[in-house]
Amino acid sequence: MAKGVSVFKDPEKTLYPKLPDVPDLKEGDRGLVRTKLHTFTADDPVGPKLHWDPIHRADQDPWKDFREIMRIEWKMEITYRHCLGKYSKFFIELENKKFYATECPKCGFVWAIPRPVCPDCLEITTWKELPGTGTLESYSISEFVPAFMKVELPYVLAMVKLDGADSLFTHQLRNWGTDRSKIKTGMPIKVAYTKEPVNHPLLSMWFEPA
Amino acid sequence: MSDRRVFVLGGGISKMAAERVDGNIRDWVTEAVMEAVADAGVEIADIDHATTSYFSDHFDKQLKMGAIFHDCIGMCPKPNVRVEGGGGTGGLAIRNAYAYIKAGLCDSMIIYGTENMGRHVPSDVAQQFIALASDTDWEVQVAGFYIAYYALMMLSHMEKYGTKEEQFALASVKNHRNAIYNEYAQSPMRITVDDVMNSPLITSPYKLLDNCLLSDGASCLIFATEEWAKTHSTSWYRKPRIEFVGTGCGSDYMRLADRPLPYPGITHFRAKKNASKQAYKMAGIKNPAKELDCFEVHDAYSGVELVSCEDLRLCGYGQSGPLYEEGYFDLGGELPINTSGGLIGMGHPVGATGINQGIEVLTQLREEAHPQRQVPLNNGQGGMDSHGGTGTFVAVNIFRRVD
Ligand SMILES: [Zn+2]
Repeated sequence: MAKGVSVFKDPEKTLYPKLPDVPDLKEGDRGLVRTKLHTFTADDPVGPKLHWDPIHRADQDPWKDFREIMRIEWKMEITYRHCLGKYSKFFIELENKKFYATECPKCGFVWAIPRPVCPDCLEITTWKELPGTGTLESYSISEFVPAFMKVELPYVLAMVKLDGADSLFTHQLRNWGTDRSKIKTGMPIKVAYTKEPVNHPLLSMWFEPA
Repeated sequence: MSDRRVFVLGGGISKMAAERVDGNIRDWVTEAVMEAVADAGVEIADIDHATTSYFSDHFDKQLKMGAIFHDCIGMCPKPNVRVEGGGGTGGLAIRNAYAYIKAGLCDSMIIYGTENMGRHVPSDVAQQFIALASDTDWEVQVAGFYIAYYALMMLSHMEKYGTKEEQFALASVKNHRNAIYNEYAQSPMRITVDDVMNSPLITSPYKLLDNCLLSDGASCLIFATEEWAKTHSTSWYRKPRIEFVGTGCGSDYMRLADRPLPYPGITHFRAKKNASKQAYKMAGIKNPAKELDCFEVHDAYSGVELVSCEDLRLCGYGQSGPLYEEGYFDLGGELPINTSGGLIGMGHPVGATGINQGIEVLTQLREEAHPQRQVPLNNGQGGMDSHGGTGTFVAVNIFRRVD
């Protein structure tokens, strides 16, 4: 599908201001600051070429005394102890291969992504097991994903209308084969459960063609 | 409500770029403020109140950053509040300025918006921060991220109305082209529908060139009452007067999956319909497609612009695709949209985006835009729509020239 990226190489088409390409300093060249990455002189990012109205910026760089720039590296690592709260039963039951939704005792709405309280009525809901079957409502096939998400490409994000639920549920569609034209809205879908250990309980399940 | 009228006295923008290595976030805010103060012909010492507009504490590893911006521009010891609503942050900050002045809490307000999204963190980490603005318990865990949610919406729009990928590619072509005439824009480009269609597939149906940009940049607007402007703003007597005449706000379920069917379902922006209805009513606008001269729409992705036009009542449901083919929303068309270049051409430094939109409307209504992008004024009215999430928070603001 993707033929090439010629548009980015054609100077007629691309007018991005050029960013300075400044290599990191070698460890021995960093002076007294161990985390120093670069020191360099930065240009005015507006640049003379893009000016049409000289009222806004004079040709002369008014910041000329402030263009010596230093960059440093700063590492941070954070691990959370995250509580799944009143939604927890949903996640606990996934390990038993059961798919639970919540039902509002007042309006009868079944929230596929469970909610301890129905937002429409502010009533405390009750758990309700669903059969784990449904139909595909919409999907997108990704060729790209931020690396932290750790999924194999291409992957399919699916929105499914589960039988017995009134709202939709979002998860990955897996085991759809290799022919993307076989994925169609309205196709029957079922919930599948993992046999392998996972890092987040929501990954104990996914959708598959039924 | 009080009968105080609120005016926009001036605006300033600091250049949008993928990476502003020439300074950091506080430098950009200061630049934007210096331009806005000069544009409005006011002294910073006279301004009563400030609103800080930025989205993420993560990008700059600095919490309560508003306090730093505030003291960088000599606003201490005067009041300052922060507004945050994802991509809608800037639009909400404008609404906040109106509310504070209207309520009599102050007579003048400076709002500054910015985001440091460039390469302070690797682009993968930036993607992660943005993904964290969706539901981390239920969506991020299943590899949900924003372009994929919008792709789900767009697919349903295509199936419902027959909208084509080439039609929303036209929004990207238009916005990159409009950006050529905006010196502050990050991505001015002359491209064709084929270029968009042939750029790498990210998440079907979206290709690389359908996307908005990760940007560094800042912008600033100054609002005041007429009485304040008469005594404190030299530009009041020199420049066309632009009044803030309408504002609306709306919201929807954070997760697309929870939105009621059939409307909005996963196809439409209910929050936008709600916000624009309030704003039009307040401004006395009955037919927005006829009564507005320009509109800045939150084009996070090219298809988002098409769906937004429908929910903002700039055209009927399902009509946006054919209208893009006609050039209805182009410069020179019936209702030019995103004359600044929008988020796709101008850039999307989240906290600054809505303020950029307001500045563009101000510039157009004053007829100060580049001649190639200046729209003809028929009613002297322009609008802007700013949203966060998948249209989860929306602010719609309307400006009118009153000379
Ligand atoms: Zn209920």
